[in-house]
Amino acid sequence: MATTYTLIASSTVGSGGVSNIDFTSIPSTYADLLVKISIRTNAADVTDTIGITFNNNTSNYSFTRIRGNGTNVTASSASSQSNVETGYADGNNATASTFGNLEFYVPNYAGSNNKSFLSDGVSENNATEAYTGLWASLWGNTAAITSVKLVPITGSLFQQYSTAYLYGIKNS
Amino acid sequence: MAITKLSSGSSFTNLTKYDSFLAGNPSYSPPSYDSIATVTVGGATGYVEFTSIPSTYTDLQIRLINDTSAGDINIRAQFNGDTGSNYSWHTLYGTGTNAYSDFNGVSSTYYGSFSRGGNGSGIFGASIVDILDYKNTNKYKTIRSLSGKDSNGGGILWLSSGLWQSTTAISSIKIFPESANLNQYSKFALYGIKG
Repeated sequence: MATTYTLIASSTVGSGGVSNIDFTSIPSTYADLLVKISIRTNAADVTDTIGITFNNNTSNYSFTRIRGNGTNVTASSASSQSNVETGYADGNNATASTFGNLEFYVPNYAGSNNKSFLSDGVSENNATEAYTGLWASLWGNTAAITSVKLVPITGSLFQQYSTAYLYGIKNS
Repeated sequence: MAITKLSSGSSFTNLTKYDSFLAGNPSYSPPSYDSIATVTVGGATGYVEFTSIPSTYTDLQIRLINDTSAGDINIRAQFNGDTGSNYSWHTLYGTGTNAYSDFNGVSSTYYGSFSRGGNGSGIFGASIVDILDYKNTNKYKTIRSLSGKDSNGGGILWLSSGLWQSTTAISSIKIFPESANLNQYSKFALYGIKG
C-alpha cells in the first residue's frame, strides 16, 4: 500500500514556552498539508486564538468563520489580514492541564493558485465558556508554501507541552 | 536504478558497496497513519469498546458511521472505564434552520457528544473524532468531533469538544448511545497517527 500520510516535522514546547512555532523548508513533494495542534497559551483568558502565516508573508489573508462559545453562535468574516486565525487554544484561565485541539488542511499547497484552506478547532474548559469554530480561509498568494508559522493572537507564549505536527498527504 | 532480478550466470565487477538496503531505490518514508482496529456491529448492541490501545502513536482518530434504535440521539464515550465525574463538553451545531452553541456538561460522568445517531431506519450519522496527545501524561485529554446526519432534509451538523480530566494515557474507549442500542452495520474504525 502506498504511503499517503507522512510526518514532515513536529514541535513540542519545552519549559518556559515559546513565542511561535515555525515549520520551515517544507518540501514540495506532497499534494496537501495537514497540521494537528494541541496547544495552550499564557493569555489571561479561557480561550486564545491561533494565528498563522505562510512563508513569513504578512498580507492578503482572509477568513470566514462560524463559532460557538458555549452559549451563543456567531458568524463573521475578515479581509486583508496580516495573519489568519485558524483555531483555538486554551488560555491561562481555562481548566488546568487542558489544551486546545485543532487542525488545518491546505490542499495543493505547492501549486500556483491562491491558497484556500480549512480549519476546525476547539478549546475546552470544565465550565460554560469554551469555543468551537470552523474556518474557511484564504491566503491570496500564488507562491508555493514553504513555511508555516503559528503564533498566539492574545497571549505571548505557547505553554509547555503544547505540540504541533506537520504531515504531508500524497495522492498517488 | 534498483536491481530487481538476477539471471543465472550473472556476474558483476566494479560494483559500489552500499551499507543501506535502500541503495538504488526510492527513499522510504514510514507511514504515519495506521489502522488499529475496526468494529462493525453485527446485531443490536449497547456499546462498542476499543481496548488495549497501544501507546505507540501520537494521536488517535475514530471514523465512524452509526445508527441507533432510537434514531437521532447523542452518542457518548468514556475512557479507560472511568465513570467518575471527570468529563465536560461543548457543541456548535446547526439543524438546517438555526445554529446553536451549547454547554452540556460540567463534571459529567461521560463525554456526551462524541457522535450522533442516524434516523433509526437505515440512515447513518457520520463522524470523524480526533484525540490529540492521547498518551501524554502532562495533559488532560481534549477531544474534537465533527459529526453530521441528513435524512433527505431534517439533518444536523455539529462540531463538538470534549474534555476528560485525566492525565492517564488512553488505553480504552467505550462508545454507547444515550439510550437504546447501536444498530446493525454501525461501524467504528480506530486509527493511530504517528508523530
